[in-house]
Amino acid sequence: MMDLELLINDEKYQVRAAPGESLFQALRKLGFWGVKFGDEHGLTGSDTVLLDGKPVNSILLLAAQAEGRRIETIEQMGEHPQQGWKESPGLHILQQEFVKTGAIQCGYCTPAMVLAARELIEREPDPSEEQVRDALSGVLCRCTGYKKPVEAVLRAAARLRGEDVQPIEDPIKAPVEWTEGPPAEPSAPWQFKDAEGNTLTAEKVVSKLKVTTEPEAWQQVGKPKEKVDAVKLVQGKPAFAADIDKRDMLYAKVLHSPHAHARITRIDAEKARAMPGVAAVLTYQDVPRVPYSTAGQSDPIPGPLDCYSLDDKVRFVGDRVAFVAAETEEIAEQAVRAIEVEYDVLEPVLDLRGAMKPGAPVIHDQEDYVNFDESDPSRNLAAEIRIDIGDPEQGFAEADEIIEAEYVVPKVQQAHIEPHVVVTYWDEDDRLVIRTSTQVPFHVRRMIAPVLDLPLKRIRVIKPRIGGGFGGKQEMLIDDVAAHLTLATGRPVQYVFTREEEFYASRSRHPMRIRLKTGVKRDGTITANEMYALSDTGANGAHALTVTGNTGHKSMALYVGDGPYRESPNIRFYADIVYTNTPPSGAYRGYGVPQGYWPVERHMEKIAHQLGLDPLEFRLKNALRAGELHPFSMAWSEGREPSPEIIQTNGLVECVRQGKEAVSWDQKYGNPDWQVVPDKPHLRRGIGVALVMQGTAIPYLDMGGASLKLNDDGSFNLLVGATDLGTGSDTVLGQMAAEILGVPLEDIIVYSSDTDFTPFDKGAYASSTTYISGAAVVDAATKVADRLRERAQMIFNENEEYDPVQALDIELSNRCALAPDGRDVSIEQIALHSLHHADQEQIMAVGSFMSPVSPPPFGAQFAEVTVDVETGQVVVDRLVMAVDGGVIVNPVTASGQIEGGMTQALGYAVSEEMVYDQRGWAREVDFRDYHIFRSDEMPELETIFIETFRTLASLRGKSGGRNTHGRCRSCGGKRCFPRQRC
Amino acid sequence: MIVEYHRPSTREEALALLNRPQPRTVVLGGGLEVNRKTREQFAVVDIQNLDLDEIADRGKTLAVGAAVTLQGLLDYPDLPSALVKSIRQQESYNRRQVATAAGSLMAADGRSPIGVVFYALDPILISEQDGQDPVQEHLGDILGLRGEWLPGKLITEILIPRNVQLAYEYVARTPADQPLVCAAAAQWASGRTRVILGGHGKLPVLALDGPTADGAEAAAADAYREAGDQWGSAEYRSDAAAVLVRRCLEKMDGLSEGNGKS
Repeated sequence: MMDLELLINDEKYQVRAAPGESLFQALRKLGFWGVKFGDEHGLTGSDTVLLDGKPVNSILLLAAQAEGRRIETIEQMGEHPQQGWKESPGLHILQQEFVKTGAIQCGYCTPAMVLAARELIEREPDPSEEQVRDALSGVLCRCTGYKKPVEAVLRAAARLRGEDVQPIEDPIKAPVEWTEGPPAEPSAPWQFKDAEGNTLTAEKVVSKLKVTTEPEAWQQVGKPKEKVDAVKLVQGKPAFAADIDKRDMLYAKVLHSPHAHARITRIDAEKARAMPGVAAVLTYQDVPRVPYSTAGQSDPIPGPLDCYSLDDKVRFVGDRVAFVAAETEEIAEQAVRAIEVEYDVLEPVLDLRGAMKPGAPVIHDQEDYVNFDESDPSRNLAAEIRIDIGDPEQGFAEADEIIEAEYVVPKVQQAHIEPHVVVTYWDEDDRLVIRTSTQVPFHVRRMIAPVLDLPLKRIRVIKPRIGGGFGGKQEMLIDDVAAHLTLATGRPVQYVFTREEEFYASRSRHPMRIRLKTGVKRDGTITANEMYALSDTGANGAHALTVTGNTGHKSMALYVGDGPYRESPNIRFYADIVYTNTPPSGAYRGYGVPQGYWPVERHMEKIAHQLGLDPLEFRLKNALRAGELHPFSMAWSEGREPSPEIIQTNGLVECVRQGKEAVSWDQKYGNPDWQVVPDKPHLRRGIGVALVMQGTAIPYLDMGGASLKLNDDGSFNLLVGATDLGTGSDTVLGQMAAEILGVPLEDIIVYSSDTDFTPFDKGAYASSTTYISGAAVVDAATKVADRLRERAQMIFNENEEYDPVQALDIELSNRCALAPDGRDVSIEQIALHSLHHADQEQIMAVGSFMSPVSPPPFGAQFAEVTVDVETGQVVVDRLVMAVDGGVIVNPVTASGQIEGGMTQALGYAVSEEMVYDQRGWAREVDFRDYHIFRSDEMPELETIFIETFRTLASLRGKSGGRNTHGRCRSCGGKRCFPRQRC
Repeated sequence: MIVEYHRPSTREEALALLNRPQPRTVVLGGGLEVNRKTREQFAVVDIQNLDLDEIADRGKTLAVGAAVTLQGLLDYPDLPSALVKSIRQQESYNRRQVATAAGSLMAADGRSPIGVVFYALDPILISEQDGQDPVQEHLGDILGLRGEWLPGKLITEILIPRNVQLAYEYVARTPADQPLVCAAAAQWASGRTRVILGGHGKLPVLALDGPTADGAEAAAADAYREAGDQWGSAEYRSDAAAVLVRRCLEKMDGLSEGNGKS
């Protein structure tokens, strides 16, 4: 060990460190939580500190290397501006601008970005955008697309130069009002037969659409409010799962399988157990064998139960073999290496095309495999889908042309910068606390209980801030590892995935081979459309059915045909979801839908070219319109009972119109003069477009809850089970509550989520939070608002000089209850009255919401590219996305979601791919090979919101999209239309 | 696993440490490679106090201290644009602050843009060994033998020739990604031309070192005829290499007499 003196933030620290100890480890031990772990190689940059004023990766530096140098961390930069009696300089201007511009989403990389930016501004007070992008190039951000961080730095630099900056631009364009679709008057209801022959009726009400210019006199909703968690995140506060220090904490490591398919014939952990500092080693012989699914979904999980905490069979390279807990990570790693294992290596299935062939090795041959629906492990079939809508064969027979093609989409990673992290410990009540980076805390609690053989009521799951998830944390992935080890040792255990583990032992997007067959008339009318998807779920079937179901459910629903086919479309969607000996697939942003739209949109383009049609006119001619039945709504609903759903609003045409205008489509598309790049004969410019329709939540299933409590000063505690993983959902939920209560957002203290304290919520997935959890918040806030009015009425009517006031006539605004006669009483006065003065009561309420529908958002994604016709290199120059996301609650957070989504889609299109060799070993295990976009190579990004809402609705709307991949929910309300069973 | 850390203040002290029989002791420049976790136990010699971080203009050569960081090199005025391009492609701003020029060369694989460009320039490395006079060797002579050549040595300087025209071209999935194929060409006033290919394998490949550039494209295509892997087929790389080499040579067109452009 070495005794070092480190100069950190101008203070000297005496540190005892091993020679190989990184500066990152030393700083974290000292409590500088602002440095974050992103990867082992400094490629994420979330571990950035300033060393002698220069941004460096603390994980790549030895603590010893930093001795004698000046180390600066985010903790030095600024603090909350209100420190009670103590005067505070507040946040640094850079931090202020990161907060204002919406540059913070999950916030995991934010301290690093701020530090990198500070170095730039001190070196170059008037930086160009290129310089800013270069300075930030060492910090990967998976959330923002870098647009807003760059903007934040440029604005901060301007302010530091003493210049004025413009107010934050509202990214919502305000086009002229327009209407589209059938009239608003109700027409004859749609009637359907369900599987049992019952008649289902859906009221066919289609409201007028308009693009909102001034939707209503909203004070909080629709405004670019600062994120409620931004101030703490920009300071690098210990907000994330790993930012905790427990006495006697043990560190977990897992022995992973080196074989893609093998049976463990002998495992001997005695040497490992005997090592000093090792607290526990667990193998399959030590833990109960409980089949489960890792998929964070509602009960019952719509998929097979085919996972075990530990098993005597391994099914992919990276599968678990043993768990170790030790005093340090290094000892745990050594212990992992000391475990002796002998394997009977089995033939693996690595190509999904061979998975179901007769004689293929059976991956799940265990007797306790629990089927779901059509899963058949004897054929390596995790799930099967067979959907016929209308009469596809008749439709093909009526076609003038039939166009067929096959498309392939690769396996890609969520690549959230914060890895999976869990800390488990027994609390003073002998209840197991699981502090975890999850999108689904309530599902984790329910799912882990049987695995641990603990009653659910003895488990508490805490979800702190999440450093990005994108579906990767819609799993109960590593929580059981730490929990088993806590059970075994009685001590706190922390388990943090390395980046390598993220790549070979985590979840990813299902790769698929998709065959499309489309019948079309010469005028461009689609008569039938067929998709067959062969989907690779990897070694486990979590999300197998539902992800792939959505591949067809959304993408094959958009183009129904025209004329009579519009009334009765002919659609076929078949899918086989097969097991292979590769790391399991799972949920990833868009949840199967991008896999569908990639082939569908390429196919539409191909058809248009083949028929000589304008590709956009061809698409819109056949696209689903408002007032029409979602063709899949009667056919499939994620393993649940389907129910009819009418498309109430559809801004697709306007998305196309505005997107075309933004990119000057008519001047560029098919224009040979524009395609040529002057003086570069090997380059050609191109422009393209893809349309998309997504969904919002799972009807009749997804439920969110919220509770709201009034405090003495007129502020409110809003507790939600929803999980903000960087999306800004806490903020928009707070905005909705604030709107209804007539208070500013700062009066809403949002907390999420803790299974002991916050109401149930299914978690963050299915593009549902703003819609589902938002409606729950609206429900709770409405109840509280009603009670506030009744209290105000009591107060007003105590004065008999005035005419009595009715509660319904009282308006809540500007932190006051306003009587029609002009009197007002503050919310604080109401709070004191209710808590202390008369007829005391706690004003609070619980709300919840479950939607019978899944209102689809629509979008048009435009891209400009430059192609090198000699080498094939493609450079994407510009991306513009026009999105109909319903009512936009917060344009800054919503546009941030779109920008981040576009950037992930960009990587999916051009650089991201996971490949395995013939042994099943991953080619990509770091961010060198798995390349996600850096700030200095981004194309121009632009977001256009087309706001649609039904004029009858107040504080209701539909969802935003996330297929490429914005997420911007409107706030919810009551059910959108009645559903009756006759 | 690093078991000892030393920060000597003299080269002699450093060389003594590097030449110990046990434990195996290596130079710690920036640490991008050395500080990675490994099972093997070894000691490191941190060279930050050895005054090896200067860049000196020596007329026909640019003398780059072994501990000069890539950012330090990038900040040097009038650096050839090809070198700038390769450095920016290889490392982000953060990593450029600690990655050293010498360390980057010693760690370069076939996909290293810096390795490809430096290999084209064929700089001289000056190294010292315990008790011996400094030795000058061309990078090209040692690049493939680094494993055997490096132990016990301390690289002190890299001498980059300045009277050379240089170009670098690449194909990658994104502008800042590792190259799938890349090419660097260096041309001296005499017409001597070196063409190096990268994007594949453990080392950059010398496609041509001749008195002129004659046949460079064909040489490039030939040099990558077997360069296939999961990232790209040999056929593609061979074709693309020829294209990139042609572009490199076109970029240097007219800059020196007798460049032999075909």
